[in-house]
Amino acid sequence: MEQNSIPSSKVERAMRFVKTGAQIGGNYIKHYSKKMVDPSLSKEELHEDNATDVYNALSELKGSALKVAQMLSMEKNILPRQYTNKFQMAQYNAPPLSGPLIVQTFIKSFGKAPQEIFEQFNMKACNAASIGQVHEAVLNRKKIAIKIQYPGVAESIKSDLRMVKPIAFRLLDMNEKELEKYIKEVEGKLLEETDYELEYKRSIEISEACAHIPNLIFTKYYKEYTSKRVLTMDWMEGLHLDDYLKTNPSQEEKNRIGQAMWDFYDIQVHELKSVHADPHPGNFLMQENGKLGVIDFGCVKEIPEDFYYNYFALLVNELLEEPGIVKKIMTQQEIINANDTKEVQQIITDAFLKMTKLLATPFVEPSFDFGNNEYIDKIYALGEEVSKMDELKKSKEGRGSQHALYINRTYFGLYSILNVLQAKVNTGERDWKTALFNYHKPQLSAVS
Amino acid sequence: MKDQIISTYIKQCLETGKVPSNVYAFAKELGMEEKDFYTYFSSLEAVEMAIFQYWFEQVREQTEKSEIYASYSAREKILAIYFAWIEALKGNRSFVKMLFDRKQEHFPMPKFPNFLKLLRHDFIEWANSITNQAIGSKEIEDRKFLSEKYKDGLWMNFFFVMNFWLKDDSPNFEKTDVAIEKSVNLAFDLMGKSPLDSLFDFGKFMFQNK
Repeated sequence: MEQNSIPSSKVERAMRFVKTGAQIGGNYIKHYSKKMVDPSLSKEELHEDNATDVYNALSELKGSALKVAQMLSMEKNILPRQYTNKFQMAQYNAPPLSGPLIVQTFIKSFGKAPQEIFEQFNMKACNAASIGQVHEAVLNRKKIAIKIQYPGVAESIKSDLRMVKPIAFRLLDMNEKELEKYIKEVEGKLLEETDYELEYKRSIEISEACAHIPNLIFTKYYKEYTSKRVLTMDWMEGLHLDDYLKTNPSQEEKNRIGQAMWDFYDIQVHELKSVHADPHPGNFLMQENGKLGVIDFGCVKEIPEDFYYNYFALLVNELLEEPGIVKKIMTQQEIINANDTKEVQQIITDAFLKMTKLLATPFVEPSFDFGNNEYIDKIYALGEEVSKMDELKKSKEGRGSQHALYINRTYFGLYSILNVLQAKVNTGERDWKTALFNYHKPQLSAVS
Repeated sequence: MKDQIISTYIKQCLETGKVPSNVYAFAKELGMEEKDFYTYFSSLEAVEMAIFQYWFEQVREQTEKSEIYASYSAREKILAIYFAWIEALKGNRSFVKMLFDRKQEHFPMPKFPNFLKLLRHDFIEWANSITNQAIGSKEIEDRKFLSEKYKDGLWMNFFFVMNFWLKDDSPNFEKTDVAIEKSVNLAFDLMGKSPLDSLFDFGKFMFQNK
C-alpha cells in the first residue's frame, strides 16, 4: 500500500469522498447493465469492484474518516486483512502547531504562557499524538510531558463522519437505520477522545483500580495543568514494543510484561466493566526491568451490564450446552433476529459459536502461549471465512450489538500485541465465570 | 481624561445599543462642556479611531514584552500579535461587533471602516518593520515593486482575521485560531521564495542571452 499524497484540506477530503461515491454508484450501474445482458452475474464481482475503489480512496485519506472506515470494515471484514492492519495506526493529519498558537492555547486554558508555568518548556514538539502533539517540559525539577490538541479537531471529526456516511451505506450494503447505531458508537468514542478532561478523569479511575497489579505502572497526571485541550503528565521512560524486542529481552521478562498486560485487561473488563479500548503498541511503554507502562486513556469503553452478561456468557462452557440459553444470548446480542428464517438462524449461530470457541481458547486452560502463531493465523482465517458466508453477506442488517465493536477490537489488539511479544500468560487466575453462570442459572433450571 | 472619554464611550454604546448622537449629548454625559471635549478629540469618530489604535498599542507592548517573543521568527511574531489581538478584542466583542455591523448600514461597499483608519496606519507601520526584518533574515523574498506591497497584503490578512472572528460561532473561537494559523502560513509561503521566482529569473536570463 502506498500513501502517495495525503489530501488534507476539508474540501479536498470531501472531493475524495464524492469521487468514491460516484465510483461506487458507477459500479452499481456497471453491474446492473451487465446483469441485463448476463443474468447469471453474481453480486460477488460488484463487491470486489466496490472494495477496490473504496480501498483506493481510503489509502489516500487520513484522520477520523479513516478510523471510522477502519472500524466498520473490521466489523464486516470488508477489506482484506493486509489493508486493515495498515489502517490501524490511522492518525489525524495536521501540520504542527506554531509557537504562538501553543502559547495562545495555554493562555486560553490557564491564563498563562507555558514559559510562566514551567521551569523549562520545549517549544518544539517531540512527538505527534493522534490528535495533537507532545511537548517536553520541566516542572518542579521533574521531566514532564504535555499533550496539546490541534484546534478544531472535534469539528473536523463531525464533518468527516457526515461525509463517510453515504459511502458506508453503499459499501457495507446495510440500511441506514442499522448502520446508524454503529456510526454513533464510533463517533461518540472519537469525540470523547478530543476531551482531555475526560481522559484525565478516566486515567485516574482506571489507574487507581489497577494500582495493585504487579509490574504495571501508570504516570502521574497534573489536574491544575489539564484542560479540554491540554493534558499534563509525568514523563514516562520506556521503549515501544518494536524497539523493546530489539533489545532481546529474556523469555521470563516478556512473560512478566505479557502477564501485566493480561491482568490489566482482565480486571478492567470483568471488574471495572470499563476498558482501555485502544490496545495498540503506541499506547504502551516497556521498561528494562520488565515493567509495563500504560499511557493514553483517550479511548475507554464502558461496558453495559446486560451486554456484559450476555457477551461473555459465551465463554462459559456449561451455558453453551443449553440451546435455549444460546438462542437468548444470540438474540440479545443482535446476532440473530426475529426476521431470520430458522435455517439462517442456525447457520449464523453455529458460525458464531465456532468463532467464539476459537477466541475463547486462551481462557480454557490455566495458561496460554500467545507466541503460538498458528493460533493467531487460525483467528484470521476463520474471520475471513465467516465474512465470506453468504448468509451474512446477504443480510441487510448489521450483526452484533454496537457495544461489541470496541470490545472485539480490544481483544483483537490485546491478542496481537501478546503474539508479537511472544508471551506465555496465566489466563485463569481470576474466576469471573461463576458470576456469569449464576446470572444465567435461573433460566438454565427453567429450561431443563 | 482621554482614557475616561474612551471608556465612557464604549460603555454608552454597549448600554444604549447605539453610538451617541452628537458631541453635545456625549459631552453632557461626561459632565463636561462641548468645547472642552474638543481639546481631546475633534469628533466622535476620532474617539472610535483612538480606541482601536490604543488597543493595538497595548497588544504590541504586552506581546513584545514577553521573553519568548524575541526568539520568534517573523512569521511567529505576526502570529503572536494576531492571537493577542483577537484575545484583546474578545473582552469587547459586543462593541466591536456593533461598529462592524453599523458600517454596512451607512456605506454599502467601503474599503474598510473609518474607525479602523488609525489602526490601519499603525498596523502597516509595524508590518513594514516585520517584513523588512523577514527580508533581512531571508524568511521572505525581496522582490522589486512587490516587496513594497507586502505590508498591505498583511493588512488585508489582518482585516480578514477580524471579520472571520466576528462571524465565528465555534466554542472558544477555536476556528479563528485555525484561520490565523492557516492564513498567516499562506501569506508567508506566498512571500517566501517560490518556483515563480526561479522561473522569472531563468526567463530573464534567456531573454538577455538569446
